[in-house]
Amino acid sequence: MSLVIVEAAVVGIKEAAKLGIVWLVYSSFLREHNREGFLKAFYLGVALASGLALVSFFVPSTLAVKDFLARLIGYVFFLFFLGSLAALYQPARGFKPKWDTALGSLVVILTIVYLSPDIIGSTMFVREIAEMKAAYLPTYVSAATGFALALALTVIALGRFKHHIGRFFGLGQFLLFLSVVKLLGGGIRGFAELSLIPSVQRGVMKFFHDVVHQMLVFLMVPDHPMLSITTWNFVGILFGPNIALAAVLALLLAPPAMFLYHGLLAPLPEPSEAATGAERRLLKAAARADRRRKALPVALFICVILVFWFSGRAEDITRLYNPKPKPVVEDKGFIVIPLTDPTMNIRDGSLHKFSFYHEGESIVIMVIEKPDGKLVVCLDACEICPPEGYGLSGEEVVCIYCRTPIPTDTLGIPGGCNPIPLEARITDSKIMIEAKELLEKWDDVITGKTKEAIR
Amino acid sequence: MFVDVKDVIKEYPTATALRGVETGIERGMWCSIMGASGSGKSTLLNIIGGLDNPTSGAVFIDGTDITAMGEDELARFRRENIGFVFQQPHLVPYLNSVENVMLSQYFHSLTDEDEAREALKRVGLGHRLHHRPSQLSGGEQQRVTIARALINSPRLLLADEPTGNLDRENTRLILELLKKLHTEEQFTIILVTHDPFVSGWAERVLTMEDGRVIKDEPRYC
Repeated sequence: MSLVIVEAAVVGIKEAAKLGIVWLVYSSFLREHNREGFLKAFYLGVALASGLALVSFFVPSTLAVKDFLARLIGYVFFLFFLGSLAALYQPARGFKPKWDTALGSLVVILTIVYLSPDIIGSTMFVREIAEMKAAYLPTYVSAATGFALALALTVIALGRFKHHIGRFFGLGQFLLFLSVVKLLGGGIRGFAELSLIPSVQRGVMKFFHDVVHQMLVFLMVPDHPMLSITTWNFVGILFGPNIALAAVLALLLAPPAMFLYHGLLAPLPEPSEAATGAERRLLKAAARADRRRKALPVALFICVILVFWFSGRAEDITRLYNPKPKPVVEDKGFIVIPLTDPTMNIRDGSLHKFSFYHEGESIVIMVIEKPDGKLVVCLDACEICPPEGYGLSGEEVVCIYCRTPIPTDTLGIPGGCNPIPLEARITDSKIMIEAKELLEKWDDVITGKTKEAIR
Repeated sequence: MFVDVKDVIKEYPTATALRGVETGIERGMWCSIMGASGSGKSTLLNIIGGLDNPTSGAVFIDGTDITAMGEDELARFRRENIGFVFQQPHLVPYLNSVENVMLSQYFHSLTDEDEAREALKRVGLGHRLHHRPSQLSGGEQQRVTIARALINSPRLLLADEPTGNLDRENTRLILELLKKLHTEEQFTIILVTHDPFVSGWAERVLTMEDGRVIKDEPRYC
């Protein structure tokens, strides 16, 4: 029970720290630009987001809801990430007072959009762990105390800097800051997800993989001399861990790098209002100093992203759960997986592997319960990569060879990087797979016929 | 008054350099300060330029009390508002003429080589842009210092015996150059000299003796 209480407190602390830091930078940013009136819109947005969190307390936290929230957090991150770039290339030319009402409404909406997925997700998570351990009051009190204390401490500790921070932030830097905060603290699954970086990595890797895969399938004509198993193995490298992860890093670092370029290397604009050369140089020097100041937090973001990326990557690679296969045998033309073993609960949502020995080769079968409660049985191999199998990472199985993540709820779908599904008869006591089908599909994998089918 | 000196006293442990100097200089004027060695004219110039602090009293430049400024604020005020020319050129020996002028730009804001070249051409050194100080005559070196002093468009030019090391012909050339630039740019000049020929170019001459202004006479030239 104590771990649940600690986890609830951590969730509360994380949400409060994010809110406190965002408040600090936002209020400093407004003060620097003499637009403190918009602080009220922010407070209104916070209040409404908190209200939504309270409402969400009574909403069932289904897989679909959690998935929606997780995706929303990702989209919000990208919204602010891309928004920062837009602000960099289209700097605000001074908002007219007549736009204030519209801008105020926009601030309220963006504050709700920015804060509510995390707060709602965290609220649901706290409720879930409280329900899991039937420790409602201590868990809620722990989360609320962690939130209140962390918010107070953040505001007290950082409040003294609020008069100095604003000058480091233009609108672009501010939006970039918000996206980085989202990236580093956007997870809604307690200890399991204290940062969004692994999710972004997986998402981008999947996207990268799909683009490369579809493009190659689209471009390759039948009987092309390049089409061979070896070629596909090389193709596998393209969407393998190294290139895809480098692409993720490039994506994450591209906007900050552009900010640094603009802050440190781009030519300074010629001031139009200068009367003398000295005045012109003074104005340019002031603009350069301002740019350099605003490059400082961006450089800090780059360092933080790098640190989190490397630690996230290391975690992601080492975190794959890959159980040792249990041997199974053939009985009257069927491979039988007994479910009566008291040491194994096949419906625990985890990955289970079984190996069938045939002519000196080990053919591995994977079984997992999908989120909808159905058991799915697949070969521990896909149609493309060498059959190194899959490991479990959260709610995805990940190809050990090419690191492609496959959501567990899509298992059973054939083709591409999905594990090759097997027809199976499932009863309470056993799973039966036709040996002939298993051997045929395995033969297709090792002879490369699955790849020919793709062609 | 553009420069307003209010009862400035400067005391050293063993001597008193200024004994309650009180004067004002209009914007755009060329004013000379004459006096024998030890009369306090250079001390007064240094205090007006913010290079030294008075023991008491105040100096206002365009309404700003520079004696009340902190170190950083004063340094910024100096580099943006005041140009200095001394008897010794104080050029960096391993930099050429353009680079010596650009050094002043660097400490002011940003360097601009084209602008530095133009400034040197205006003081008649278009053919000496890439010469080092050791390759220039005394008069040419002093022209570089004038270009360096004026490159940042100061509102006040302070010159302490700028022609002290020059012969009569070079003195005349430097003064003609200053006259031309002063007419074109309308900055205020305060020039310290003990040479009546040099002071004769000014619109107004203050004469100092024993730390006091004893004579203040306008001149028409």
